[in-house]
Amino acid sequence: MQTSRARLFKEYKEVQREKGADPDIQLVCDDSNIFKWTALIKGPSETPFEGGVFQLAFAIPEQYPLQPPQVRFLTKIFHPNVHFKTGEICLDILKNAWSPAWTLQSVCRAIIALMAHPEPDSPLNCDSGNLLRSGDVRGYQSMASMYTRLAAMPKKG
Amino acid sequence: MTNPEGRGRDDEADSSAEAPAPDGFEWSNYADEDIMHQKNEINAVEAEKIPCVGDKEPLSALAAEYQSGSPILLEKIKVLDEQYAAIRRTRGDGNCFFRSFMFSYLEHILETQDKAEVDRMKANVEECRRTLQSLGYVDFTFEDFFALFLEQLESVLQGNETSISHDELLLRSRDQSISDYVVMFFRFVTSAEIRKRSEFFEPFIMGLANTTVEQFCKSSVEPMGEESDHVHIIAISDALGVAIRIVYLDRSSCDKGGVSVNHHDFIPTVSSSRSGAVEPFITLLYRPGHYDMLYPKRPS
Repeated sequence: MQTSRARLFKEYKEVQREKGADPDIQLVCDDSNIFKWTALIKGPSETPFEGGVFQLAFAIPEQYPLQPPQVRFLTKIFHPNVHFKTGEICLDILKNAWSPAWTLQSVCRAIIALMAHPEPDSPLNCDSGNLLRSGDVRGYQSMASMYTRLAAMPKKG
Repeated sequence: MTNPEGRGRDDEADSSAEAPAPDGFEWSNYADEDIMHQKNEINAVEAEKIPCVGDKEPLSALAAEYQSGSPILLEKIKVLDEQYAAIRRTRGDGNCFFRSFMFSYLEHILETQDKAEVDRMKANVEECRRTLQSLGYVDFTFEDFFALFLEQLESVLQGNETSISHDELLLRSRDQSISDYVVMFFRFVTSAEIRKRSEFFEPFIMGLANTTVEQFCKSSVEPMGEESDHVHIIAISDALGVAIRIVYLDRSSCDKGGVSVNHHDFIPTVSSSRSGAVEPFITLLYRPGHYDMLYPKRPS
């Protein structure tokens, strides 16, 4: 508990120091609880998520950093490796490939990379995965960009 | 974050996920969460069976395991019995090699009070720290693990306020959080060494896992619970300059008729400062998939 708190505090300081260094990631710690964080990440360019801003919720276990943070999308996203309803993310570094060498910041970068490079063979969203697996890239992209517009972009007017 | 006003008609089931309360994470249908939970429970059951580091047991305890098993293994254990006095088991959680190494090394320092060895180790640890930094690791990701190991190393030397007894060393090695932190320290050290000398390790890794060196380190060295192979052992032995003897107990038999037990010494290549034949003071028993510690008989 103490070690996880100390580590998270270091990450917090690093995030404050590096503010703006990565314009695609805005990582914010809950005011009253260092084990709860949220992040705003920009959809990578040349993907159907471009122009969208996606919110992630981090719940950090007491055994952090020996155990990975639990991360999920709060913003709806149509992506093979993100559960359409819960926002749960299928990413190896959040499961068995986790190591303390990762940070909350680098987890965000890994999630952005996953958005650009979906893994349709291990889908949490089968509809999305099936479109890609059947080679319907156009169908996937139009569905994904529709949801980006609906859920991840500010309302017009 | 703005929610869309016109949502798809098949979205009605999402209303709860769509507007989460600031703290109201819907973990209830969080499948992976359940999986992790279950895994932790399985680990807890295993943990009750055997501590991270067990008690010293006579070799007869090892023979008892194979009483109704392979005659070759029983023969080999008889051979081992001539040279080795005892075995100390570790938990089979994928970290057994690093945990065995941890306990053997610290116990050796505690018993020999070899200050020169401690100084040599500290210098190597500093070198590993610099390697990680030059590889681009952020300090705060590894420094806690380094600090905890150095603290253990310091405390096995006697005569200080923070000195600890053999019993206390055993308790700490069984304390999940201390023990895991030291294991993680070794994982960082191993990863740093492999990546620093990636041309040397590349062919071994290609043969083992058919991945890049970097990918291997990320998926098979740094994560806790990933089992160790020759590559890990060579790397940690070289990085820390500590020789390791591995005794192999498997069903392989030799054609000459008599049964013998193979061993292999991993002698650090880089630290040739101490020339001459290095007799390893760390001896581990390897049975396919698992490492325990072995205690040689002392010459009387």
